[in-house]
Amino acid sequence: MQYPDKNAALRNLSALVDFSNLINSSLDLNFTLNNMLLTCFSKLLATKGLIALNSNNNSLEVKTFKGFSKDIISQFPNVSIDDFENNPDFKNFAEENNIRICQKIVSSNNKLGVLCLGQRMGGSLYDEDDKSFLQTIVNIGATAIENSQIVEELKSVNKRLDAKVNQLGSLFDLSKEFSGILKVEMVGKLLVFSIIGQLLVSKFAVVTCENNSYRILETKIPEEKLKGIIKDCNLNKITSPIRGDELNKEFEDFRKVGIELVIPMTIKSETKGLILLGRRKNEVEYTQSDIEFVSSVGSLAIISIENARLFEEAIEKQRLEKDLEIARNIQRNLLPGRIPQLKNFEIAAFNKSARQVGGDYYDVVTLDDHRTLIAIADVSGKGVQAALLMANLQAFLKSICKQNIPINEASNLINDLVSENTTMGSFITFFWGIIDDEARTLTYVNAGHNPPLLVRDNEIIKLRIGGMILGVMSTTIPYESEEIELRKGDRIYLFTDGITEAMSMDNEEFSDEKLEDFVLNQKDLSADELINSLMKEVRNYTAGADQSDDITSLILKVN
Amino acid sequence: MADFNVQVRGVGHVSIVDLKGYLDAHTAPELESTFNKLIEASNYKVVVNFDELAYISSAGLGVFMAYVETMRENNGDIKFANMKDNVYSIFDLLGFPMLYEFFKDEVEAIEKFNNQD
Repeated sequence: MQYPDKNAALRNLSALVDFSNLINSSLDLNFTLNNMLLTCFSKLLATKGLIALNSNNNSLEVKTFKGFSKDIISQFPNVSIDDFENNPDFKNFAEENNIRICQKIVSSNNKLGVLCLGQRMGGSLYDEDDKSFLQTIVNIGATAIENSQIVEELKSVNKRLDAKVNQLGSLFDLSKEFSGILKVEMVGKLLVFSIIGQLLVSKFAVVTCENNSYRILETKIPEEKLKGIIKDCNLNKITSPIRGDELNKEFEDFRKVGIELVIPMTIKSETKGLILLGRRKNEVEYTQSDIEFVSSVGSLAIISIENARLFEEAIEKQRLEKDLEIARNIQRNLLPGRIPQLKNFEIAAFNKSARQVGGDYYDVVTLDDHRTLIAIADVSGKGVQAALLMANLQAFLKSICKQNIPINEASNLINDLVSENTTMGSFITFFWGIIDDEARTLTYVNAGHNPPLLVRDNEIIKLRIGGMILGVMSTTIPYESEEIELRKGDRIYLFTDGITEAMSMDNEEFSDEKLEDFVLNQKDLSADELINSLMKEVRNYTAGADQSDDITSLILKVN
Repeated sequence: MADFNVQVRGVGHVSIVDLKGYLDAHTAPELESTFNKLIEASNYKVVVNFDELAYISSAGLGVFMAYVETMRENNGDIKFANMKDNVYSIFDLLGFPMLYEFFKDEVEAIEKFNNQD
């Protein structure tokens, strides 16, 4: 009786050695499980079997099976490895499918799963020897299973690492690319390609927001639909990625067009744009790591977009400045180049624009051998508009003074012309006069300009006679003129409010009082010296402060 | 700057797109305009031949994602052929084999299209 037993034991042993060699030669989990079952089948003459392993949520999951249909396996109950023997569902399942024996697979550290076998061929029951053989198989298998599980885990960690490395690589590539691109459209394209290539998305849109208006850079959602959605959607409300329930609740419209993930693009925590993504084509949910990737790419892109926008703005500004520079040159040519000097009068003038194009104007025009016209004006506003109006005024003045009309009547005409040619709210303060070099007289009209100061014997006479500011309405009340006889030593200061309103660093105006004090004390100087010292005074007063208005002055000295 | 070149050949009803060099963020727009032209000409059956492609970045992969739906909606597809292992591994890593068909040789891909017709 012992002899056949010995033989059986030897057969068992050789099968075990074979099995052990076999499964330890591979780290493939399926290979190991398959061979565990096959060895049981051949040695124990079983025809059905399955191996269920402990899954992450502590329930058994069938990993391999033979002799059962897929349908049956799909009915495998949800049981835990600790109490499956007592679970009624499992008992039913075992009963219905003729499962006769189950052996837990336990390694030194962990409960790994269970191996179950069905009926033996011929129907005989499993005896003690069979059970101990099965026990041995399972013990050897346990180590192999654990090893291959560790390898699988390592592989999946490796794959995740590879994916992360790839994402980092993409980020690195993009940061290089983005920094070199100065076209917004191009940035949008690269942003989209990188994201959808990395995450397998085919439905997407990228929008940016500037001055409260949206700009769609890229979209695979019909534009009309997208516009309808983002119109109602307050961009600043979205400061962090939104998906899932939150998207359903608060941004239902996004969901309706198939958007599953909304990621804001922010600069200094201000939302400047949105990346909208649909479902991933591989049906995998977005992971935290995916969202971080999209956010990072988005941040890179939005900075690049912002740079591109600033660059475009800078170009535009440069172009505008060039235009202004041209306008300024034209305007400079409108002012008199050389001031004629007379027998009994010295004339000097100064003009400095606050901007490239200013609104101040002065002129000195020789009318005939003894009469000279002087004029000063301040056009409302600044920049190109003021310069155009000033050019108009100059043209009117030049044509009118040739017609030899008395200056008060000429003023009526000039006001009518200016009124016709200005839009609402534009006007000109204007002072002009005719010097008679023979008679030593000045005949002037003041149309709302800061009254010129006539300094005579340490007293100031303000030249106020005239009428309304030019350009407010057509002439209803005619302008008046005044003729003054001038004496040797008289000084007349024509100026614009750029002088009296020149600001100091402490925000205080130069003021009429200061100007009057200053001119009273100017004595025994030539017209050039008078104007130079006045300008120096103003410059010292405003030292360091920005020149806020054009500064113009014209000084007449009687010899 | 890395070189990239894209050319299109027609084999029957199928368009073969030959890629050469480096397909990255910088060169992706070239491939994009190729796809736009194919769509304009109603050529929706596309085989991309990767034989001479040395490198692809995820921006390059994105171009395929951006156009595959249009092709499929029009009874066409984008199929990949003659891919080198290093290029394939990037497609594999990002899960493309689930969504696209890969062929060892473009002839097989063309045949697949022809058998559909």
